[in-house]
Amino acid sequence: MTRTILEVVNLKKYYRQRAGILSTLRWRERFIPAVDGVSFYLKEHETLGLVGESGCGKTTIGRTILRLTPATSGRIVFDGHDITAMPAGELRPLRSRMQMIFQDLDAALNPRMRVRDLLKEAITTHHRLGDAEVARRTGELLEQVNLKKSKLSSLPGELSGGEKRRVGIARTLAVGARFIVADEPTSALDVSIQAQVVNLLRDLQRQLGLSYLFISHDLEVVQLVSHKVAVMYLGKIVEVGLADRIAGAGRHPYTRILWSALVEKKGAEPSRRRPAMSRGAWGVFDFEQPVHGCRFAPRCPVYEAQGRPAVCTDAATEPELRDLGGGHHVACHFPLG
Amino acid sequence: MGAPLLEIESLRTYFYSRSKRAFIRAVDGVTLALARGETLGVVGESGSGKSVTALSITGLIGAGPGVIGGTIAFHADGGEQNLLADLERYVDRKEVDGRIVEVSKDEAGWRRKVERIMAPLRGKAISVIFQNPKAALNPFVRVGEQITEVIRLHTPTKGARAAREQALDWLRRVKIDSPRLRFDNYPYGLSGGMCQRAVIAMALASEPALLIADEPTTGLDATIQSEIVGLLAELKAEIGIATLLISHDIRVISRLADNVAVMYGGSVMEHGPAADVLAARFAPKHPYTTALLASIPSEQNVRDKGYLTVIEGEVPDAVDLPRGCRFYARCNRVTDGVRDRCAQREPALQEIAPGHRIRCWLYAE
Repeated sequence: MTRTILEVVNLKKYYRQRAGILSTLRWRERFIPAVDGVSFYLKEHETLGLVGESGCGKTTIGRTILRLTPATSGRIVFDGHDITAMPAGELRPLRSRMQMIFQDLDAALNPRMRVRDLLKEAITTHHRLGDAEVARRTGELLEQVNLKKSKLSSLPGELSGGEKRRVGIARTLAVGARFIVADEPTSALDVSIQAQVVNLLRDLQRQLGLSYLFISHDLEVVQLVSHKVAVMYLGKIVEVGLADRIAGAGRHPYTRILWSALVEKKGAEPSRRRPAMSRGAWGVFDFEQPVHGCRFAPRCPVYEAQGRPAVCTDAATEPELRDLGGGHHVACHFPLG
Repeated sequence: MGAPLLEIESLRTYFYSRSKRAFIRAVDGVTLALARGETLGVVGESGSGKSVTALSITGLIGAGPGVIGGTIAFHADGGEQNLLADLERYVDRKEVDGRIVEVSKDEAGWRRKVERIMAPLRGKAISVIFQNPKAALNPFVRVGEQITEVIRLHTPTKGARAAREQALDWLRRVKIDSPRLRFDNYPYGLSGGMCQRAVIAMALASEPALLIADEPTTGLDATIQSEIVGLLAELKAEIGIATLLISHDIRVISRLADNVAVMYGGSVMEHGPAADVLAARFAPKHPYTTALLASIPSEQNVRDKGYLTVIEGEVPDAVDLPRGCRFYARCNRVTDGVRDRCAQREPALQEIAPGHRIRCWLYAE
């Protein structure tokens, strides 16, 4: 039985919205619930994929777990330590074991530092090492991420997208990461390079036993790399389960819509067994309008088909994640068959 | 296929890198043709010259030296017009064994001339849909009014009321919900997908002969992407306007395009019917096309959790393009019979079947 490396319980992250100076005078504040009560766990050597549309809170979850931004409430347990409110000094040694691969390739690397120094900085942040040891470790990292030695004296601006991504990954390994939040690690890359990076991440997982929280909107890549997948909608996880179950037999209407969009884009015939979902009015969710009950109801075709049942929009009965067996959970009053 | 609408011949668009003191050969001898009613998909990785080709057609290249050679023949309103006509005389090229080493260009004269040619065409005969829909709309003008303006400027409908009605009709045709309401919205009130619909309406409202869609779905959410692709497919069936569709997303291209051009390192490597070029099993194919198709996660890949097929190496540097085939360094189909030629000389686009051309020594006669 593998150990649980990360457990998140009822995590909330609300951002305060500044609505002009007058709002402070009126003593009224508005909050944007970017992450609104999310619970999940991640085992060692495992990848949890996190999918959802932009603005649903995927990246905020990643940042909050790593304590790059404080949680509003809830509990984050990393490797047996409750880090939710751990003082920075105590957290520091744990930080070396949890790292992030940032979405923005260019913002993640100091443009004035050469690859050699970027790696050295990461290697020596948590470990005091002599020059010879640093050089040995640098060579080892280059080999692990499959980067040429000749690139050591390059500046980030001289590297291609794939190479920058590799340097970023090498830096997370350099500090000794065991758990990595990979935030859209392939979205800025071309398909041929994307394949290299996906293969690399999976190789590293096999060799080093890493755990990933893999955030992406590319459903195929997510299904490929993840053991489990969580589907997010507006700050909540609406469904979580084994990757292939979620992709092939999602029970939440939103999950189905996400994957049928992929099929539609391919132009393939929608499968006869599961007709493509017809969609309600798509719009941007308005955080300022209070939600009652299920957040997805305004867009939900099942809600319409069922004749707008009151249970879906009743504030007292917001759907909770229910266990369907086999690690499959769904938050819906009328899960699809 | 209908009569030709656009014929690009050996288009070259270079930029100058001051730090490297060398030319960036963004587009380096592109030859393409587009017929009336045809959708030509242009695929390629970033830096392959797709967008620069589009900008060259529309005369929107800002940085120098920009377009430095070739012809772009545009057949509209019964006549033929070379969009690069007489521009040659503003450029002086110095070549050393086939390579341009020095370009001097009368930038101001060139600019003036381009504007004279393009001003009557841009937005009227040639419309463009850019990648970022929010940036394409004026944030201070109501969406409906922006479309009305296009109609009054570029179509025979000049009356304010009639143009408004027509604009509203376009909003309906691109399936914006409650179009009457949206007409008076400012762009910030619309979601990304709705903005893109408005931009599409605006591009089509001038009833152009040629539509250039540069990554029309990139940056939108997956659910929205499939809707926009669906809309473009419907509009294609309904209006059948000649479209140059640029995307790095092969799935989008395969859904919409009749013909496909595969670009690599500023050059067209393969050009032919979409069904043949993008079909997994069609045999004659440029090695790059084969590798590109293989690197997309297939259903088999995803199910088996297998490794993805990788194209080893990196996209060539546009400053230092190889002298032989641009794909030679990454090609996995080089045979001993062609190796020397691959390394030394660039192959020509060779017709291997009617309308299907491949730039590869393996298929050379």
